[in-house]
Amino acid sequence: MPSSPDSAVDQQPLTELPAAPWGRRLALASVPGYAAALESAALSIGALVVALVLFGIFVAAGGHNPLAVYGALYLGAFGTRFSIEGALTQASPIILTALCTAMPARVGLLVIGGEGALVLGGLCAVLCATAVAGASGPVGALVALLGGTCAGALWIGAVGALKHWRGVNETISSLLLNYIAIALFDHLISGPIRDFSQTLKATSWPVPQAFGIGSIPGWSVHWGLVIGIGLCTVLFVVLRYTTLGFSMDILGGNRRAAQVAGLPIGRLLIVACLIGGGAAGLAGAIEVLAVHGAASESLIVGFGYTGILVAFLARQNPLAIIPVAFLVGGISASGGLLQRRFDMPDATTQVLEGLIFICVLASNAFAGRIRGLSQPR
Amino acid sequence: MNGAGGIGWYGVALAIIGGALRVSTPYLFVSLGEVLTEKSGRVNLGLEGILLMGAMTGFAVGSLSGSPWLGVLAAGGAGALLGLLHAGICNLPRVNDIAVGIALFLFGMGLAFYLGKPFIAPRAAMLPALQLGAWSDEPAVRAALEISPLLLIGIALAIALRWGLVNTRWGLVLRMAGESADAARALGYSVNAIRTLATMCGGFLGGIGGAFLSLYYPGNWNEGLSSGQGLMAIALVIFARWNPLRCLWASLLFGGASALGPALQTVGVTSGYYLYSAAPYVLTLALLVYSSSTRHALAGAPSELSISR
Amino acid sequence: MNAIQPPPCVEVRDLSKRFGPVQALADATVRFAPGRVHALLGENGAGKSTLVKCIMGYYRADSGTILVDDVAQTIRSPHQSRALGLGMVYQHFTLVSQMSVAENLVLGRARIPAAIDWKAEHRALAEFMRTMPFRLDPAQRVASLSAGEKQKLEILKQLYLGRRFLVLDEPTSVLTPDEADQVLSEMRELAERGTLTVVLITHKFREVMRFAQDVTVMRGGRILATAEVAATSIDELARRMFGQTSVTAVANGARAATPGSPYCEVRNLGALGDRGTLAVVDTSFTVRSGEILAIAGVSGNGQKELVEVLAGQRDAADGAVFVASRRYQRTRSEMQRYGVFALTEEPLANDCVRSLSVMANLALRRYDRPPIAWHGWIRRRVLRRWAEALIARYRIRTSSPLARIDSLSGGNVQRTVLARELSEDVRLLILQNPCFGLDAAAAAEIRTQIANARDRGVAVLLVSEDLDEVIELSDRIVVMSGGRIVHEVDRAHADRYELGRHMTRTTEAEAA
Repeated sequence: MPSSPDSAVDQQPLTELPAAPWGRRLALASVPGYAAALESAALSIGALVVALVLFGIFVAAGGHNPLAVYGALYLGAFGTRFSIEGALTQASPIILTALCTAMPARVGLLVIGGEGALVLGGLCAVLCATAVAGASGPVGALVALLGGTCAGALWIGAVGALKHWRGVNETISSLLLNYIAIALFDHLISGPIRDFSQTLKATSWPVPQAFGIGSIPGWSVHWGLVIGIGLCTVLFVVLRYTTLGFSMDILGGNRRAAQVAGLPIGRLLIVACLIGGGAAGLAGAIEVLAVHGAASESLIVGFGYTGILVAFLARQNPLAIIPVAFLVGGISASGGLLQRRFDMPDATTQVLEGLIFICVLASNAFAGRIRGLSQPR
Repeated sequence: MNGAGGIGWYGVALAIIGGALRVSTPYLFVSLGEVLTEKSGRVNLGLEGILLMGAMTGFAVGSLSGSPWLGVLAAGGAGALLGLLHAGICNLPRVNDIAVGIALFLFGMGLAFYLGKPFIAPRAAMLPALQLGAWSDEPAVRAALEISPLLLIGIALAIALRWGLVNTRWGLVLRMAGESADAARALGYSVNAIRTLATMCGGFLGGIGGAFLSLYYPGNWNEGLSSGQGLMAIALVIFARWNPLRCLWASLLFGGASALGPALQTVGVTSGYYLYSAAPYVLTLALLVYSSSTRHALAGAPSELSISR
Repeated sequence: MNAIQPPPCVEVRDLSKRFGPVQALADATVRFAPGRVHALLGENGAGKSTLVKCIMGYYRADSGTILVDDVAQTIRSPHQSRALGLGMVYQHFTLVSQMSVAENLVLGRARIPAAIDWKAEHRALAEFMRTMPFRLDPAQRVASLSAGEKQKLEILKQLYLGRRFLVLDEPTSVLTPDEADQVLSEMRELAERGTLTVVLITHKFREVMRFAQDVTVMRGGRILATAEVAATSIDELARRMFGQTSVTAVANGARAATPGSPYCEVRNLGALGDRGTLAVVDTSFTVRSGEILAIAGVSGNGQKELVEVLAGQRDAADGAVFVASRRYQRTRSEMQRYGVFALTEEPLANDCVRSLSVMANLALRRYDRPPIAWHGWIRRRVLRRWAEALIARYRIRTSSPLARIDSLSGGNVQRTVLARELSEDVRLLILQNPCFGLDAAAAAEIRTQIANARDRGVAVLLVSEDLDEVIELSDRIVVMSGGRIVHEVDRAHADRYELGRHMTRTTEAEAA
């Protein structure tokens, strides 16, 4: 039988909040939330373990002792202070390029354009640095960093715009833009902005010494790492605690619900792409200012693609990207040790990274089965 | 340097034709393979990794056994295995086939470079060439019209696939899996099995495309062998609207476009070399922008395909 | 197809099926006599689908027997039921829309030749269609067929594959009354000819009385009664279906003396459908404050697209929407300012984000305003308290505000969305099939809330495919057919049959 609420009173809009319940401490993340986060972490760690086991089988098939290889991996990644510094140095750019995939993923886009954005970021950093060559150190560095960030942001922002206004699939367009960016880069550093005194390989004009980014005192890791960690933290807070982040969650969760809610979808898509692209561009600018001092082929080493792996392993969560980048950076850094000790080609770490990526994706099949819950807000 | 014998711009045209006939072959094989995969409802972005594994395997087996054709076969096999891996993971629930493709791209590339290290440098037994230009005295014409038997096989394959997709049981069932997985399941077919088979065939053809690179042109194995041909094939398939015959024409077009850079170099246009090498990517992007629309799916796209939704 | 041999006779005895805590089917015993049309009557959740799916092999019954032609069969899979000549036509289409009629038919065959000679196949199909009551062009793509033609193709497919026991699951839900009558009378004729045994699953009394020969009423998983249609009446069937006291209509007293001024005006609206053709054509109407304007019509005549335009999920191609005399662009700030809120059909898919919690979904309209938001910052504690209050007031059954919304039952999802929309300062409420899929009690509760909203002065636009709901709730009714408004009448003068007639006005007469 239909129940009848007291119509007039009950149906008034809820503008007055009821008084807070007495003494009950409402945790920000109560049980369902923790369970989901635990499940995510468990799946990622499980995938990692499986990938390592498979990798062990792989190297054993190649005639090496897997346990020895594991040991070398650990040593080369985290074993000594030197290797930790190497891991952190490798992690710096990929923390940022991972954001290039993670941020658009939050609004439902699969963008893989980190490589192109990074490369253009480095290029633009050189151009901006040259334009303000007379300025003081910090100002010049800031201009170069901003220039690189903007270049990357616009590049990937275009991907978002094409998707929204033209329906162009963002994965393919960002991929094509990668190659176009690299071609543009190669063209410029081989001719128009080339420093012909460098004979080893095509290199751009050098960035003024004063603009360089130095190392964190006591460590031989440059400040770019801190910038990356800082940006990830800020974005995590934005996503979780601000209305912008909530809007992005809605859009990423269900586009139709976002429409019903009247959200500005095009704006959100492009903002996400601008942030992601800007991060990757920033990575390129930092690499130029802190590591190479100029733009050259050394910038194109796959940081963008490794960033995709990190984003997926971290399940598109900016805070989780930090430790994951450190882990993956460590793996990359240990490549040298593997080469020296076992005479393994440096594609070895790439095989391991590929295996990890595959296992992480396969682990999605088990998401939600462990507790029947997944990441609620 | 000016073209030898003052051929000049005529030489550029010849070079483009030669490029079209030559460079189109890997595009052709990879795109035909991807047509099969996508008609069944999956996208395989790992084609670049498959291409490289195919190139490496073909080269390795070719140089070890002395027979390039055995190398081609082995390359196809390696591609099929990677296709099996792609399909196996994508068959699991809640797995995004685009992400798996990227993972496979990285894995395949790493694997190819890892296993291929000992094979860098020496030339293996090369695939024979057919001299279609033997009637001419000019070496440039003869060079342009020198084609690989693989191209002929590819052309025959394109025609066969076009016919087969419409007129055979397997073609019908394949297309059904790509248009409506529900209908296929309702009729008792295993959609996963169909897609696995299709992806393996796609990988097989992709591997052969790679073998062409290492066993014919450029004819060696090194880490810079592929410059995105595997991934470009995805765009090519969209451009060809999933029609095998149009893949043929599109491959020729792209092959010609790729040859633009080196061709212009022969007439002394040396600057902008890299920009010309970007021509295929720009062309592809332009075509994609042109043919995409927010209102309807890409024309001819299989309905189950994630990238066309 | 051999018309000399009689079609199958299917009987079930003491069939039972349980899904977890729910007894979907309990001791069902019924005989579907050969060559007759047998209607299965019952509301949602009565057990009709479970019964036929057990017969068809999609489910395995927990106990009981299924007999085909008096021989007990164990049917473990759809494959087996098909081999016995049993077929089923579903509510949703199982056709491949990008393929032709011929390709769809050939695909259904058990044995397809390795190489297909299409010319021969087309000839054979043309032959086959000559013996059938409906005919279609074998070369035509399914995507270009109308809903009625697709339904006929589904039936044709079953006949083509030699199935002679046919279950039709709500076959007329997407058809106009004319098409529905035609399809059902053809089925009746095929049965009387001795070609088919037909089981008709429906909830419409009219169809039962006109086209069926036997009828079985089900409720709560049980068979209540089986009778010959000639020996019963609508009243008696209704009494059996709903029990002695049927669900009462919403009291329509306490209504605003006169509706207020026009609040929402739709002027010459046009919108493209998913197929690229105009789904809404030059539509105009007005909704006044304090009245319920109902849009009646058969599904697929543009109502979905119309609601999508109003809710912001589709752009208009022509015309404009005005709210409070101002042009309405469906931005978030306008929704707030003018109090425009909506509950569309399939709320879980269209109005909610599955992966977010109940709390987050409840906050969809509010998260960016005080008290929950403060300068762009979300205060989660405030959000939680507010959500808990709403959950309590609207009696939403959920294990916790943080549970995922898709863990809720359909009715609770609907309550959630309604709670969210009604807790705002609503002045225009847009509803689409709000009670679809709900049990009678939940539906009545929602209808009461809608009526209450109207009484408070809200302008309500109710788009519904349920003619009974339309007549019961509305103050004014318009009929939408072929994307246009074709009829307008106020409730007092509404006539059910006339409304039904207008719902078919723009469809062309079917060629035999």
